Amino acid sequence: MSEVFIDGKRYEFEGDHMALQFIMDLGKEVPFFCYHPAMSIPGNCRQCMVKAGQYIKNQDSGEYELDENGERKVRWFPKMQISCSLKLTDGMVIQTQETSEEAERAQKDTMEFLLINHPLDCPICDQAGECPLQIQTYKYGPEGSRFEVKKVHRPKRVQLGPRVTLDAERCINCTRCVRFTDEISKSHQLTIVSRGAKNYPTTSPDETFDDPYSLNTVDICPVGALTSTDFRFKARVWEMSQTPSIDITNGKGCNIDLWTRDNEVLRITPRYNKEVNDHWMPDAGREAYKLFNENRVSRPSITLDGDDQPHTSWNNAIETFAEILEANDSENILVIGSPHASVEENYAVNKFFNLLGAPNARFVSHIVPGSGDGFLITDDQAPNTNGCRLLNIDEASPEALRSAVNNASVVIILADDLVGRGVLSKNDLNNPYVITFATNYSDTTRASDLVIPITCVAEHAASYINVDGRIQRSFPAKETKYTNRRLNLEMSEGRLDRYGTSFDNWVSDDNKIDCRPAWDFLNKLAERLGLGFSYLHSRAILAEIADQIPAFEGVSYERMDEENGIQLITEQQEIKQD
Amino acid sequence: MSKDWRSYEPLLIPDIPNLHKIDVYEQNGGYSALRNVLNDQDTWSRENVVNEVKEANIRGRGGAGFNAGLKWSFMPKPDGGPRYLACNGDESEPGTFKDRAIFEYNPHIFIEGAIIAAYAMTVDTIYVYLRGEYIAWVRMLQEAIDAAYEKGYLGKNILGKKGIDIDMHVAYGAGAYICGEETSMLESLEGKRGYPRIKPPFPAQKGLWGRPTTINNIETLSNVPLVINNGAEWYKNIGAETHPGPILYGISGHVNKPGVYELPSGVPVMDLINEVAGGIRGGKKFKALIPGGSSTPVLRADQLEDVTMDADSLRTAGSMMGTAGMVVMDEDTDMVDVLWRISHFYRHESCGQCTPCRDGTGWLEKVLLKIRNGEGEIKDLDLLLDITTMMEGRTICALADAAAWPVRHTINRFRDEFEARCKKSVHAIA
Ligand SMILES: Cc1cc2nc3c(=O)[nH]c(=O)nc-3n(C[C@H](O)[C@H](O)[C@H](O)COP(=O)(O)O)c2cc1C
Ligand code: SF4
Ligand code: FES
Repeated sequence: MSEVFIDGKRYEFEGDHMALQFIMDLGKEVPFFCYHPAMSIPGNCRQCMVKAGQYIKNQDSGEYELDENGERKVRWFPKMQISCSLKLTDGMVIQTQETSEEAERAQKDTMEFLLINHPLDCPICDQAGECPLQIQTYKYGPEGSRFEVKKVHRPKRVQLGPRVTLDAERCINCTRCVRFTDEISKSHQLTIVSRGAKNYPTTSPDETFDDPYSLNTVDICPVGALTSTDFRFKARVWEMSQTPSIDITNGKGCNIDLWTRDNEVLRITPRYNKEVNDHWMPDAGREAYKLFNENRVSRPSITLDGDDQPHTSWNNAIETFAEILEANDSENILVIGSPHASVEENYAVNKFFNLLGAPNARFVSHIVPGSGDGFLITDDQAPNTNGCRLLNIDEASPEALRSAVNNASVVIILADDLVGRGVLSKNDLNNPYVITFATNYSDTTRASDLVIPITCVAEHAASYINVDGRIQRSFPAKETKYTNRRLNLEMSEGRLDRYGTSFDNWVSDDNKIDCRPAWDFLNKLAERLGLGFSYLHSRAILAEIADQIPAFEGVSYERMDEENGIQLITEQQEIKQD
Repeated sequence: MSKDWRSYEPLLIPDIPNLHKIDVYEQNGGYSALRNVLNDQDTWSRENVVNEVKEANIRGRGGAGFNAGLKWSFMPKPDGGPRYLACNGDESEPGTFKDRAIFEYNPHIFIEGAIIAAYAMTVDTIYVYLRGEYIAWVRMLQEAIDAAYEKGYLGKNILGKKGIDIDMHVAYGAGAYICGEETSMLESLEGKRGYPRIKPPFPAQKGLWGRPTTINNIETLSNVPLVINNGAEWYKNIGAETHPGPILYGISGHVNKPGVYELPSGVPVMDLINEVAGGIRGGKKFKALIPGGSSTPVLRADQLEDVTMDADSLRTAGSMMGTAGMVVMDEDTDMVDVLWRISHFYRHESCGQCTPCRDGTGWLEKVLLKIRNGEGEIKDLDLLLDITTMMEGRTICALADAAAWPVRHTINRFRDEFEARCKKSVHAIA
């Protein structure tokens, strides 16, 4: 075991450690910009300086040499060291800004340099509020600036690619973005051009920064130099609430945060999970925020003569639904589960109709071979294919499903645009009575006789099992007409609205969708039908699944939260496939 | 000094017509060092070559003055993979133009030295990196290399010795001073942007393409055949004791005969200016000297009595040997102008990687420009000194130091001139 002394305290360590990461792992802090734990260490920002040295050991005795006061003698390194690339050695002594004035001074000096050519336009900068440069300046920067000459000018509002905008004047040349495209996404699209203070990152001439992971550079840019073209100027970060969730646009289940204001999701950013997506996510997953706000099914609709599909009341929807079920032989009810819906929804729907005597539900996976990239974009277009499989929903080919539809008198579809994705055609749905549970309008809802609006991943707590067999869950991030943030203790709150001031971000009802969780609707339908089916919330459904289905043994929201998801399928296990 | 410099006969660039031609070089004893080494590999084992060069104490002529043989000994044991020698002919520091003389007048002494170095370190590939502006010298060097290949001094089975395979390639830059910094040069050789690398790992461990690499200056390597032919003892007797050997002094500025002069180390500065370079132009008074390229601190004439051109004497005087590129300035020189121009260079050449250098060099230049334009205030001088402290020792490579030192020392050594350029501070007295 080796020992190191940081700010006068002794710590033990084994193996290779760089001082900066070691210090952060202790819960202490040294300011820095260019270092990123997932990428190579360029040591270029020079912000993370510490004073370092080595206790002197007597060559012969191996004992530490002591001075006249009995204190160990230190041989200080002649220069300040950057802690990000300072490898710990046995007997090393480190003083951070907490105990060394020289280190504090060196950090202040670097901050002063960083700010002289920075435009200091925080009031109009998107990054303000979550800007490492701003934060570190407040904590470690100089009181003012002695810079009284002209700043360097660099390009502004450069559209680097379809999704990322550059303001080169704000750039501090940390090269995080360049290293990201070199080392993580491997598109090699960015490089630093020009020299000295005129440096900035850009693509080769005539190239565009269309890397499918380009928006990650916006997250890791420690200043407001790289911004999301879509999100720019939409909201100040402190106006939004940040809720953990799961990316539902493909099978990887990237861990994400939903950023909401006034019941609208405004942006999606990746959330660190070493087992799944590390710090990253594909750009496509970020664009999904629109799905949660736009084109939503709000209030049930019912198809009358022709294509007219007016809204109807929840009571009428329940009554119509019940009458259809009563009028048809349960043998002839076809229930179609969905890899796009959660574990809880699939289970609840299948169970409900099983109780009625309908055959087991089926589903058609949504896999587009060759569309994945072996990184975070998968062939699987749906977030919960493995969930359907582990719930023993019968996996069907499109052909098999089509003939089943043709033989059914009632078809129940759970949140899956089967028409849109080419599994079924409109004609297939002409004969049976089609009831669809849906979050968004689609070709399938338009071909349905009754559409029941249900909550989306941004509105409910539910779990999804990714392509690697990991079960992870969402939290409600925005309210529906029937939920109340202040009563729902799972919902996160923004910085301002926590105090209920008149600046509260949750001011209007306009953005609340008139929808219910699928199981909640089924509760009401069961009541009408006199069926023994009732769940208070999704937590109860998952508890029952864990109890009933061996593959889910021991699974709970608490465990998922604590362990950041649970690996249900290990590589050796074969997934049951029909 | 053992002998008077006046009787010194040049060894690196002797006055022999057409010495750049391989036949002429051979007729004058060229490639005999390489022959001796390869023909008698018992006496000249790789280790013995390293030790002899180490003993000779050839101090790096690229600026830092590090013992070349000692540097060679840092190379790890061969593991069968590629190993490199990267020869630094980037020569971009203002005031420095001496490697050019070797390319032009005696390229083979450098090639021979580099091959011996490659043999000593079990290196299979030598790269020579020249500044892009030296395109004419790139061609001259390439011709010499081609001739050496033809004669069997380079390529496979050198001089018929099985397994002695060494190649030499020439690469050139695109006008960036930073690419003379050794790790930046490696990046450039790899086809990347010339950003210096953080150390550790050192090039001997992880250099070109992650393989063991040694970097030496062109002049440094040109001394190697002399050491092999005459022995370390002989070599150590040339010039100053702690900094022995011939030096190519590049003398420029306000002298009558500027140029590259080969003399032993340790020649008195005033002899170099007054005798070698023919004295100050127009009979003017000597004012100041930058002794070894623009990064080395300027010395006033009164600081130069009895100072000799070697590391120790110059350190005592308050400067450095650097590349022995001496910039001589006469009494009419405006030191504010000089310093602004030097700072302009470092601002222009900072690669922009490290914060203190990227933003510090520009700040220095702008404040100096303000002073030069008569807009400066006395407090700006203290600000400049402060900025140099904020830059020095805080960056990946030494460019920031090279930019900071001239500012600090020129202001400190010519403060009157700077103050005279500043606006008068006016204090109201009640
Ligand atoms: C900014 C900078 C520029 C440099 N430029 C050169 C150069 O042009 N030529 C050179 O030989 N060394 C240059 N050096 C020094 C090299 O880094 C290196 O020390 C030298 O090439 C080693 O060779 P030597 O030991 O034979 O002197 C430069 C160093 C710095 C920091
Ligand atoms: S744009 Fe941002 S991430 Fe890229 S180098 Fe500049 S500051 Fe760093
Ligand atoms: S974090 Fe250490 S130099 Fe940037």
